[in-house]
Amino acid sequence: MENIDDLISRLAQDGQTVKSAPHPFVLSLKWMGVALIYLVVSLAISGVRPDWADKLQNPLFATEIAALLAVFATTTFAAALLVFPDIHQKGRLAFAPLASFMLFVLAMYLSWQSDVPPASLPVHGIECTLGITVMALLPSIWTFYFMRNYASTHCRLAGSVALLSSFSIGALWLRLYEVNDSILHVIEWHYLPMLVIGIIGLLLGKKILKW
Amino acid sequence: MTEQNDNLEALMQRSLSGDQRAYAALLQQTSRLLRPFLARRLSFASEADDLMQEILISIHKARHTYDGKRPYKPWAYAIAKFRLQDFLRAHYADQLRHAVDFDELEETLPEGVTEAVLSYESIHAEVQKLPEKQATILQMMHQDGYTAKEVAQKLDMNESAVKVAAHRAYKILRGKLER
Repeated sequence: MENIDDLISRLAQDGQTVKSAPHPFVLSLKWMGVALIYLVVSLAISGVRPDWADKLQNPLFATEIAALLAVFATTTFAAALLVFPDIHQKGRLAFAPLASFMLFVLAMYLSWQSDVPPASLPVHGIECTLGITVMALLPSIWTFYFMRNYASTHCRLAGSVALLSSFSIGALWLRLYEVNDSILHVIEWHYLPMLVIGIIGLLLGKKILKW
Repeated sequence: MTEQNDNLEALMQRSLSGDQRAYAALLQQTSRLLRPFLARRLSFASEADDLMQEILISIHKARHTYDGKRPYKPWAYAIAKFRLQDFLRAHYADQLRHAVDFDELEETLPEGVTEAVLSYESIHAEVQKLPEKQATILQMMHQDGYTAKEVAQKLDMNESAVKVAAHRAYKILRGKLER
């Protein structure tokens, strides 16, 4: 390999003006904006569940949607932080999704407790997981594409939160589209697969975000 | 110390606006800053040099992720640690690839030294000159017919330790017999 001083001269000669990356707050707001537009367009195409206005009056449903939005916002923000080598020196904020996941689990627990007698289970099952996955594909692709322009030193974690962010958009879409009151079905086929998605994200992050 | 930090941040800001001399100075200072960090973690100077070059190239590629408004050192160290982990992972993976399985040694070395060419009895005198534990292990395995696992149980040792001791004994014997 070449001498360190030669390398430094070569790199310095290549040192043109560089535009700094936006602040992670700005970056995450951009990504969230694009994802929310995608969600609105998807709902406009597929249609919203007919009882959405009534359902949003239900505190448990509203809490579930709010918690899911919080998961989406915090995972997107964490992904934006994790693309910086030093996590923009805000390492603790990268763990913000933990708080929103706890809130989300609490919301689901309360919904499950109040589901008495349990609402009838729909006949379908894995179709919901597949639907969410298909909806999450496009956001996943563009999120990873944008993330590759940066320099993550926590590739696995960044991949995991990025995929969870995309999956939460898919989950929001399905919850606002499908007329379904069975909380057991929602937990089993909408939200538990998130655990698997998180693990897949770890693997994808290692492969895709390596630089 | 603070002055040096201020300098590094100011140098990076000037570098981002296209000042090549400032950028060269920044990279020089960064390499001086990181050299002790790498020297403490790597055995050979040549490894530290190779890795330093990779780190400087990585800093160059990632410089757009630094805005000059936060401390420079944590940013540079984060990249250095990342590259160091990559280097060590590759290094140990390479060592594992070249490692020899003791089971393979057990299958090949004894045959070449003691079974195919020579009987245990014919080298008994040489075996007795080995350290006591190695001699006992060879005697049990080749005269009494115990397996490594059984020897380990009888001598209250770990099976791998028995295989390692036998392997060392084979090496000593081979050295002596080849002379």
